[in-house]
Amino acid sequence: MPMPASARPESGASGLSRIIDAAPLVIFLGMLIYIGFNAPNFMSFGTMQLVLNQSVPVVVVCLGLSIVVMAGGDDVVSGGIDLSIPATAVICAGIIAQLVTNTDTPLLLAIALALGAAMFIGIVAGLMVTRLGMTPLLTTLALFVAVVGVTKVVTSSRRINVDDPFIIFLRDGEILGISAGVVITLALVLVFYHFIHRTKWGLNLQAVGGSCEAAEISGLKPGHFLFWAFVIAAFTGFLASFFLLARGSGSSPGTENNLMLEMVLATFLGAAFSPRRVVTLWGAVLGAVLVAALSIGFKTMGVNVFWTGLIKGSLILVVLALAALSSRVKS
Amino acid sequence: MSASVLLMQDIAKTFPGVVALDAASLSVRPGEIHGLVGENGAGKSTIIKVLAGVYHADDGTVSIQDTPVSPVTSEVIHAAGVRFIHQELHLVPHFTVTESVFMGQEITTRLGLSRRLMCARAETFFRDVLDVEINGDILIRDLGTAERKLVQIARALIDDQARLVVFDEPTAPLASGEIEKLFRAIRRLKDRGIAIIYVSHYLSEITDICDRVTVFRNGRDVAVLDKVDENCANELIKAMVGREIDALYPKSGHTRGALVLQAKGLGDTGYFSDISLSAHSGEIVGIAGLIGSGREELIDTLYGLRPARTGEVTLHGKPVRFSSPADAVARGMVLVPRDRRRDGLVLDMSVSENINLASLEEVSCYGIELRNRARERASRQIRELDIRPDNPAIISRQLSGGNQQKTVLARWLATRAAIFLLDEPTVGVDVGAKVEIYQLIENLARNGAAILLSSSDPGELIGMCDRVLVMMRGRITHETSAVGLSIDQLVAMTTGASTQNSAEGHADAR
Repeated sequence: MPMPASARPESGASGLSRIIDAAPLVIFLGMLIYIGFNAPNFMSFGTMQLVLNQSVPVVVVCLGLSIVVMAGGDDVVSGGIDLSIPATAVICAGIIAQLVTNTDTPLLLAIALALGAAMFIGIVAGLMVTRLGMTPLLTTLALFVAVVGVTKVVTSSRRINVDDPFIIFLRDGEILGISAGVVITLALVLVFYHFIHRTKWGLNLQAVGGSCEAAEISGLKPGHFLFWAFVIAAFTGFLASFFLLARGSGSSPGTENNLMLEMVLATFLGAAFSPRRVVTLWGAVLGAVLVAALSIGFKTMGVNVFWTGLIKGSLILVVLALAALSSRVKS
Repeated sequence: MSASVLLMQDIAKTFPGVVALDAASLSVRPGEIHGLVGENGAGKSTIIKVLAGVYHADDGTVSIQDTPVSPVTSEVIHAAGVRFIHQELHLVPHFTVTESVFMGQEITTRLGLSRRLMCARAETFFRDVLDVEINGDILIRDLGTAERKLVQIARALIDDQARLVVFDEPTAPLASGEIEKLFRAIRRLKDRGIAIIYVSHYLSEITDICDRVTVFRNGRDVAVLDKVDENCANELIKAMVGREIDALYPKSGHTRGALVLQAKGLGDTGYFSDISLSAHSGEIVGIAGLIGSGREELIDTLYGLRPARTGEVTLHGKPVRFSSPADAVARGMVLVPRDRRRDGLVLDMSVSENINLASLEEVSCYGIELRNRARERASRQIRELDIRPDNPAIISRQLSGGNQQKTVLARWLATRAAIFLLDEPTVGVDVGAKVEIYQLIENLARNGAAILLSSSDPGELIGMCDRVLVMMRGRITHETSAVGLSIDQLVAMTTGASTQNSAEGHADAR
């Protein structure tokens, strides 16, 4: 590929591309401000806390998706993406709920089985993409459908209540006056952040996603990092299952669709927050909170649930379209 | 100190059907900049890949610092202090300079990455070793191309273990003003006692920076120059070319008709600028230039594949602005692309379908393709062009390179276009098919088509064309009649060994 020989590749188009880069944020903040003025009590401490609590499972799966995108590159079709994470979260929640509530299995054993299932999904996705060279988008979409199917078999597609004290603590407990789920998630984010941005392994994973050839020349093995990214992503699905159980006081069918929608929206919206304009952990986390705020805002305004789906789907399209537009302007 | 840093002796390497290296030798002394030149296919890149451990030689020995290396693997070569600066930059645009320099060899403590330390080390390296100031925290995408090249060099040398550095066409992506920056860095490396192999097509650069030069031709080292100055360019070209124009060409001189295509002041930032050219009916105009000279982008721009930032194009005296190839085709201008397998053919379609692709309306009725008419047309073209096997239903992928190229030509012949842009029409085509393609091109010109022939084969340009334009670093540096032009002279022009106006007696009377 010939490099432009001019001194600064982005000169000239930088003004326009900066506007395009900022557009998703402007749209989002605009919608939030609109909701703030129109929804009763939206700008209150209680609502803020509700937003944070609601966003927790999305934040956790967003961590996983961000890592896969970082390792596989941010091209939506050929790059890294893992749509199976929400399904992993839902099946783990289903396994735990079914075993603990309906068969009196000890919680720890149920958790171990759920972890096993998650790892299996992650390894399958990783092997299919890195060893067989399948496209991540279609592979993980198929996995999503298959895993959701298995979940329906496991739970008989019914709602299962869970009243285990640990899950109740995640829902109602408080640490230093802040909801336990939020505090634990914040801790998780910090651990992942350190892992990705402050360790050699994490930086090398980003290098692999940024330029496969550059990483190979530097002696790194791209397949290794991408494989482990899928395994880590499945692990975040496993972690998210606890927060799903806590948020819904058990496992309920149909959670996966909304979770996937919000995960994709939040992660790619997050790129707009990053100074480098790429998918990052903090960007995805902020994105997840914003998306949750939007959902709750619509609910308090009394917007029909079905319309919310249209709005969220359109937002994903807008965010992706702007990303595509921005790379066109820059090239 | 030993007599040679690197000694490669009698290296042989054969690929199925091709002898790439035939007892080739290369010897590099400590602390010298050693040039490696040769035409495409002479064996330069093969011997570099043997040294890199990418290819395993069939025969011959490799010694580094008088110690034989066997087997030659990338790990052993790296451990011996040999580094490669690839032609492509291979950098992550959203990484910082520091992250890029230390990629794969990051400095860590028990708590994780030591970003401060790495940044300081990188900045010191740029200052002391490469003689430039580059901020370690800046993103790669905010750097100019020359600085990116220096980052790439720093990544290879940061561990301080390098004894021999191989530069493969390092100036290819650079504008002429940026080259001096790179040369200053390379000379600094030499001053530190690091030996350098400098592979380039640009002879002006070779004579400028190298201490000694080895010339490759047909898989062998045919000459070694121990003393290099500006005057030895001719000697280098003689050793590189070593042949006369082949008798493959049907050229018989053309009658120049009306002016058909004219471009004035055409430019595209970073690729080419200020390009003016013209082509007349019945004329074959050649475009010569190294890869990266802007030749490919110019052809694409004329065809509407890339927008022109400046300048204008007129066709038959009327200004035109093509926003897509469809516009160009509608005005009777067609392209035979350089990568026929990617851009020229739908490989999984039949020969008949490919031939009729551009003239579907002629073989259809109310939008429905008439199979018989289509097949008949294709069969006629196949007979005329002698495409083999002569079965219109065969899938294009199964044809040989020469027959695929003839299929592409057949498609455009069927449209009776007036202007043909031919981009490397005979690359990867065997000699027999070449002669046939040349005859086809010749017939087109005789029937009044205007032809622009872009090629990296100097023999082909001289043999086929009436006039030749030479491009270098995005500009037309020479325009000359092809009559009486020798391969040596043309190579001297494309490689920058001959400066403007030095090709006496060949200025075109426009």
